Amino acid sequence: MTDFHVADADLLAWAENRLTEPAAWSVEAHLDDCAACRFRVPATPALPPAPMDLPPRGRVRRPTRARRIRLLIGAGPQARVAWFSAVAVTVLLTLTVAAQPGDRVPHWLLLLVAPLLPVLGTAASYGPRSDPMAEMVASTAYGGLRIVLWRTLSVLAVSLPVAAAGGVVSALGSPAVWLLPCCALTALTLALATFTGPALAAWVVSGGWFALVTAAHGLPEDTAPLVDPPATPVWLAVLAAAALIITLRRNHTGGNTRRAYR
Amino acid sequence: MTVAVEELTVRYGRRVVLNGLDLALDTGVHGLLGPNGAGKTTLMRVLATVAPPNGGGVRLLGSAITGEKELRAVRRQLGYLPQTFGFYPRFTVREFVEYFAWLKEMPAARIPVAVDRALERVGLLDRADDRMKTLSGGMQRRAGIAQAIVNDPRLLLLDEPTAGLDPEQRVAFRSLLRELGVDACVLVSTHLVEDVAVACERVSLVDGGRLVFSGTPAQLAAAGGDGDAGDSAIERGYTAVLRAARA
Repeated sequence: MTDFHVADADLLAWAENRLTEPAAWSVEAHLDDCAACRFRVPATPALPPAPMDLPPRGRVRRPTRARRIRLLIGAGPQARVAWFSAVAVTVLLTLTVAAQPGDRVPHWLLLLVAPLLPVLGTAASYGPRSDPMAEMVASTAYGGLRIVLWRTLSVLAVSLPVAAAGGVVSALGSPAVWLLPCCALTALTLALATFTGPALAAWVVSGGWFALVTAAHGLPEDTAPLVDPPATPVWLAVLAAAALIITLRRNHTGGNTRRAYR
Repeated sequence: MTVAVEELTVRYGRRVVLNGLDLALDTGVHGLLGPNGAGKTTLMRVLATVAPPNGGGVRLLGSAITGEKELRAVRRQLGYLPQTFGFYPRFTVREFVEYFAWLKEMPAARIPVAVDRALERVGLLDRADDRMKTLSGGMQRRAGIAQAIVNDPRLLLLDEPTAGLDPEQRVAFRSLLRELGVDACVLVSTHLVEDVAVACERVSLVDGGRLVFSGTPAQLAAAGGDGDAGDSAIERGYTAVLRAARA
């Protein structure tokens, strides 16, 4: 025991960690020996509150169905920028043809370009070349055909109105029938892509369409066999065949590989 | 067994990348070591259900993946970080992780909390609303880790996760690994032997498409002698096992 005791103010300062190092040492040395002072150590009433350095909540979105659709459809590879420019060019072409009823711009150009828009958009939407996250997306439950179909749907939602407008303006065939080659060629691309990957599939389908339109161009202007109502059953048959292939080979879609995982 | 691989063979064209590889993993942190080109990434991709095997059996989470139903069930409980990955430029960090939460078919009500928790675990919560492209390489990799763990996967596959992390982040990452390994099977592929020594309970060493060693880090260290090349016991063990496998 000793006659010297630590002052109340110093004890409080020590408990609150406010003393300088040497002063704290001497207090601690004294506390080691002096039970009376140990009892007087305040129960750290004024410890600084725990730092609240958690960041603010930020933009947390409610997990609604709309949010899910918006994210799954809206998020997509950057390659779609190229596709959007193709859409813009087609809109421009449509406007040009509409503004000039004469034959300065051949109308079959519209028929050549418009139905290929969804084909290009679909091919730019998935696959290891277009999608920087393809590898990770392929390993998720949603990967494969399902996410590819969502993205194709978003592409069609933009492309089809443009193609229909092209049909109305060009006065070739019947505007409603224009939507059929759009859908059929897109489905054909998806089906072919299960064998070749989307990029090559889009090239092949585009090439085939070019050949068809060029061949049909030799016919008199007022007949447009590709988009006339009699062509409807043919396009429906192509669409059905492509859908069948996609369904049968659904495991081959959208991954980083052309073979199925089993 | 969370992962049971038997006689796994993978070919790219004529080149045999994995050649009759056997592997059995259970809960815990497992290191996958091997020289470049040994087949580590290919093995990771097969386990991530991204690359198909040419031969042999793969059972994940107790199920042989025979059809689409099993495949989806396994994928919901899978976390995968590839060696290299990109992102959509418009994504914020939080959107990037949220996107994968949706893709992994997590229950909607759990998603916001799970996303923020994953970001907090990798130390990115304060950057959650920044765009991915404004992040440094190490931060982008941590965002990649966050998307892998957002669904609390039972099987977590991390391919070279420490590449681009500074030493301090590596230490934090190792303690995260130990946390995750308590109730998940974590497979970490790396070429950094010291990562394995510190963070992993078991090590598998792959060379030439085959499994050449499986055991604890201590057993790997014990395999080396004074004459083997390396700066640490475990590095000497690593070179000794490789030399023996190639002899």
